[in-house]
Amino acid sequence: MKTRGLSLMATGALLFAAGCELPPVDAVDLGFRGVGMQQVVNPGTLQDSMQAIAARAPSISGEPPANMVPAPEGTWENVQVLGHLSEAEFNRFMLNITIWVAQNTGQGCNYCHVVNDEGQVNFVADDIYTKVVSRDMIRMTQDINANWSSHVGDVGVNCWTCHQGEALPTNYWFFAEDGRRDIQRYFVNERDRQIERYNLDEAGVRVISQTALAGDSDNPVSTNDTRHAYWVMLQMSEALGVNCTYCHTSARFSDWEESPPARVTALRGVRMVRAMNESYMLPLQAEWPENRLGPLGDGPKLQCATCHIGAYKPQYSNPASYGAGHPAINRIGVPHGGSSDAMMTMGMEGTQGMP
Amino acid sequence: MAEYQNLFTQVQVRHTPDPGVPASGGDPRIPAAGFSYWLGKIGDAQLGPVYLGWAGVLALVTGGLSIFFMGMVMLASVSWDPVQFVRLLPWLSVEPPGPEWGLRIPPLNQGGWWIWCGFLLTVSIFAWWYRMYSRARKLGMGTHVAWSFAAAIWLFLVLGFIRPILMGSWSEAVPFGIFPHLDWTAAFSIRYGNLFYNPFHMLSIAFLYGSALLFAMHAATILAVAKMGGEREIDQITDRGTAAERSQLFWRWTMGFNATMESIHRWAWWFAALTVITGGIGIVLTGTAVDNWYLWGQKHGLVPDYPQVWGDPAVPVQPGELDGPMLAPPAQGFPGLDTSMHEVFVVPGTDVRVSFAEVTPSQEIVR
Repeated sequence: MKTRGLSLMATGALLFAAGCELPPVDAVDLGFRGVGMQQVVNPGTLQDSMQAIAARAPSISGEPPANMVPAPEGTWENVQVLGHLSEAEFNRFMLNITIWVAQNTGQGCNYCHVVNDEGQVNFVADDIYTKVVSRDMIRMTQDINANWSSHVGDVGVNCWTCHQGEALPTNYWFFAEDGRRDIQRYFVNERDRQIERYNLDEAGVRVISQTALAGDSDNPVSTNDTRHAYWVMLQMSEALGVNCTYCHTSARFSDWEESPPARVTALRGVRMVRAMNESYMLPLQAEWPENRLGPLGDGPKLQCATCHIGAYKPQYSNPASYGAGHPAINRIGVPHGGSSDAMMTMGMEGTQGMP
Repeated sequence: MAEYQNLFTQVQVRHTPDPGVPASGGDPRIPAAGFSYWLGKIGDAQLGPVYLGWAGVLALVTGGLSIFFMGMVMLASVSWDPVQFVRLLPWLSVEPPGPEWGLRIPPLNQGGWWIWCGFLLTVSIFAWWYRMYSRARKLGMGTHVAWSFAAAIWLFLVLGFIRPILMGSWSEAVPFGIFPHLDWTAAFSIRYGNLFYNPFHMLSIAFLYGSALLFAMHAATILAVAKMGGEREIDQITDRGTAAERSQLFWRWTMGFNATMESIHRWAWWFAALTVITGGIGIVLTGTAVDNWYLWGQKHGLVPDYPQVWGDPAVPVQPGELDGPMLAPPAQGFPGLDTSMHEVFVVPGTDVRVSFAEVTPSQEIVR
């Protein structure tokens, strides 16, 4: 009787401790002293993940050319977004993208380029969906690097930033499965719905009144609506592995003047995610095969975590994730044999981010 | 029961269970069930007798029903999957009605269950309060316990009843659920511009921490003189040279003042009660009188001017960029879930219908 009670207590204590992290946990002060502008980090965990990233970082083939002359017309067929490359740079990029995206598929070039009946690789054909999707993803990466430096800075991103050698990035999302009952819709899916909206449209998370007294305020947001905004913010916080105070001033979340500059970067990031979903992910809907679709039949879409994967800067700024140094994706591409003028008239000017 | 027990007692005595002193009038008691070794480790080893009464029966039935309904709503919300119920329990919730319902009673699956659970829980709590009050009366005691419980009930009613009525909407109330109610608390402070600048919240915190301090001081003092019989208060008050005199002298020596054996309990009672009384006042005023406590604090000199540590933001915010809409649920529902919204947009080349509530990507880019 007595020992059973004691062992029950010991088991309970162990269960509670199971969710804990190994100490020490460190807090780094980023703002004025004493106002709690702190980032909580576990140096051990952080070091582990940085080492893991460094260990799987791909080696990049070759160097980017100092001067690049586009390949003469007739070099390739059906090259729509990489026409600005020389043949050498084109081949270097193809090698890199194979490592970045198809490394772990075991299929190499054939992940996107089909083998014809004679057993030869047909580089021209668009017969497999991965080729079509890849082209749009290259277009998207060019858009991000050329037009969204307000979020990705001068270093930009490449395919490995999200893909990590896998055909599918670690994080993406679908529309949440609709509840089979009203009760499920009402009580469970609210959180997913709000996050979906935030990643797609102009849904603000503006909830805090800007007047001291209720009588002067016309803010219709209820406390429970605020919870939805809170969830949206938490998925950003989890995606970046940071606290609220990475972007917000501790005493007054809504104040922009006192906010750390990271908040402006994040604002642009949210707009970038929406623009990318709108311009690239949703239009790809028709291309996805059955096994790439979500429970409602929609294709995968982006969120903060797609690139960030838990790090405040993707891959903790490991240079392997940079788009700079890859002429294929650090500018807007043109069709082979075309010019940038031709590109403009084709309406491929990208989504034009903030200055 | 000629037995003396404290934490130093190593021996637990077993005897015929003691039915307790008789009370005036009829007071049917469920007889004592026996003794528990582990209860004896933390208090009296005897279990019972228990008085139930009509109020006790009512409290147990309504309280049990309320918890049962909460559990069933949560179970239904994971499609009656018991594994998911256990796995997701901390995140499951019984949500109050949406803002569109105001103070009307919605259908059960749109917040009506929350009204039912809240109503039954309130009945249960009031019945339990009456039971405490009536038992104290029966035993000829004061009713201090009941009134301190009433202070906590005040805060409970403010959160789920009084403030929602003043705000004109049930959606202002707290959901039932483990993390959901914690999320609500965080959201409440965020929505109303940081509750730390609410002076009643400050008072409530002061009384809460003060309660902990007083409890620690009192408990430590009595334990420190327990080996002299310090917890036998009546003997201590009437006799001289006792543990009580020592403990009081201890505090006079260390801080020049001591509470009496009676007044320390008044200190403790008021600190505990004022924690929830002031907290409730602070919450009633939030959203009804004050909409942003930080700005209110700025107006009244509560907020110091902190130096700017951030230089000019690296990428300055553009004019108009911060004038986005307030958060509000779209009139028709959310994309991917509301079928009426699906008809807004058909993905080209497919029959997949997707919707974006009021998508304005171009407008966004222009900004």
